Amino acid sequence: MAELDETGSKLTLKLVYYGPAMSGKTTNLMRLHDILAPDLKGEIMTLETQNDRTLFFDLLPLGFRTPSGWLVKFKLYTVPGQVVHDATRKAVLSRADGVVFVADSQRSQGINNSESFQNLEDNARRVGLDFGALPIVVQFNKRDLPDVLSEDEIRERWAAAPWPLVMASALTGTGVRETFVKLLEAVYPALDRNFSLSEKHGTDAKAFINAVTGDRIGNSG
Amino acid sequence: MEILARGYDSTLSLRELLSGISPDKLSAALAILLDAPARVVSADGAWVMNDTHPLPENACRLPLVHDLETAGYLETAAADEAQVRAAANLLELFMQSGARYFMASEMHIEVVKADYEELQRRHAALMASEARYKALAENLEERVKEQVNTIESAHRKLYQAEKLASIGQLAAGVAHEINNPIGFIRSNLGTAQSYVQKFRSMAGQIKSSGNAALAGAWQAADLDFVLEDFPSLLQESVEGADRVARIVSDLKGFSNVDQAEEEVVDLNDCIRSACNVAANQINSRAELKLMLGELPPLRCKVGHLSQVFLNLLLNAAQAMEKRGEIRIQSSIENDQIVIRFSDTGCGIPAEVLPRIFDPFFTTRDVGSGTGLGLTVSRDIITDHGGSIEASSEPNTGTTFIIHLPINRRSP
Repeated sequence: MAELDETGSKLTLKLVYYGPAMSGKTTNLMRLHDILAPDLKGEIMTLETQNDRTLFFDLLPLGFRTPSGWLVKFKLYTVPGQVVHDATRKAVLSRADGVVFVADSQRSQGINNSESFQNLEDNARRVGLDFGALPIVVQFNKRDLPDVLSEDEIRERWAAAPWPLVMASALTGTGVRETFVKLLEAVYPALDRNFSLSEKHGTDAKAFINAVTGDRIGNSG
Repeated sequence: MEILARGYDSTLSLRELLSGISPDKLSAALAILLDAPARVVSADGAWVMNDTHPLPENACRLPLVHDLETAGYLETAAADEAQVRAAANLLELFMQSGARYFMASEMHIEVVKADYEELQRRHAALMASEARYKALAENLEERVKEQVNTIESAHRKLYQAEKLASIGQLAAGVAHEINNPIGFIRSNLGTAQSYVQKFRSMAGQIKSSGNAALAGAWQAADLDFVLEDFPSLLQESVEGADRVARIVSDLKGFSNVDQAEEEVVDLNDCIRSACNVAANQINSRAELKLMLGELPPLRCKVGHLSQVFLNLLLNAAQAMEKRGEIRIQSSIENDQIVIRFSDTGCGIPAEVLPRIFDPFFTTRDVGSGTGLGLTVSRDIITDHGGSIEASSEPNTGTTFIIHLPINRRSP
């Protein structure tokens, strides 16, 4: 859960990009690093093996200051998708405030997607997260590839699920920002409830999202 | 030894971020690059690297940013802003590299620990399962023996039941077939007795008729003796026929040929009436003591149960070698009616005891018992959902205990 530091002026949020191996979680983070222009943006830290597979995680820090002077920090993590790294996934997922599930749209990846989503649900329970209340956005990535499930097929399959669906192509940047914004929208209500962001810190949902994405407040419409 | 993990995402101080780098060498390198003394100070001023040279008043101060926040400052007397900026950037790269190392190692520790715990958990589960199989293997022989015993006992019971059923069928058939002829034999014998009386009344007339030839023939045929012997012959035959009739009636009881009606009764009344019936045979041999506790009314086949009580009473009476005591107790124990028949008779030898309920098993002289009394008794008690057991001490006495469930079915 979001952490308020001991001085009471710094709020740290953890957002996790989850999904099967090679579905484009790291690519999402890299595009976000390029696209977003918040007040504060750190360098991407990647911990990968020789062949560009994520070993532990990637980390992108973002942040902004509220009109009241609070520092709100976002730590965007990816998990390693390979099945063997389950302990790492569990460690990264613990205390997450929101999750983007990056699915691979290719027809051949259906089983990997569902196994990974099941794994997300299992691990969420293991680390003590309330899966029903956890803000989740499901992104279907790699729309640019041939032989992918059609958007209609995907929407039909996920019709019963409560989470927003976003079609994306992280490689070209399509849908990456929309996914992130959808997640911020899902995360904001709990934050506002716990820390009165709107009332005490002059940061309503729109200002919150604009501040993280880098759109000037009042200038996004 | 346990490694304490701080958590890969904990906040790091400047000192921790630069912990992998020798302060002396870094300070020396900075001094040469900047062409002036320089030092690195943590954000809260608590930690200073290279505190040896006091810096002049006009020293400049650049923030060193890590993870979006100022972790410390580079302080130097150097004047070239580009050079100082480059040095600060260099330091930030070091810090980033230090953080990367720290996070990777912390994550490594966490993962290793989780994997180790998982291994231990599986190991414990395996050990438990191994112990279970070991215990199973050790008990296997015993359990097989137990199973074999159970099966054998079930087999014996089944065999016994089959045997009883076929004996019952046979007995029913025999009883039915004998019943009619024994009926008219008994009846004819009675008629024959009256006929003999008539012959007898004729004897005086013939002898006193004065007809010498007739008297001679009478003498020659020894008809006096015949008339003397005939009634006793017939009497013995009558008794024999009566005995056959009794055996047939026992057989019918054994085969349940005549199903009795059920009634709701107080079993104590049943016991008392059985005592009355048997009074003649008992009084000469034993003192009868009734200790009857209050019993709830029971729905049962009264005739059958009375027969059981009578059987047990007569057995007890016959067991008396000298005058003794027969005691009947009735009570309620654990929601069951319990009736005890105790006698101070000769007792039953241990080797005989297990067979006393077997059909046609008798220790009495041939002809004086059918060997069905206790078999029939047990079948009747079983039919009522109860049980009957015997315990005996030779020369001391025998006790039969009957258990009958109260709520066998609602009245």
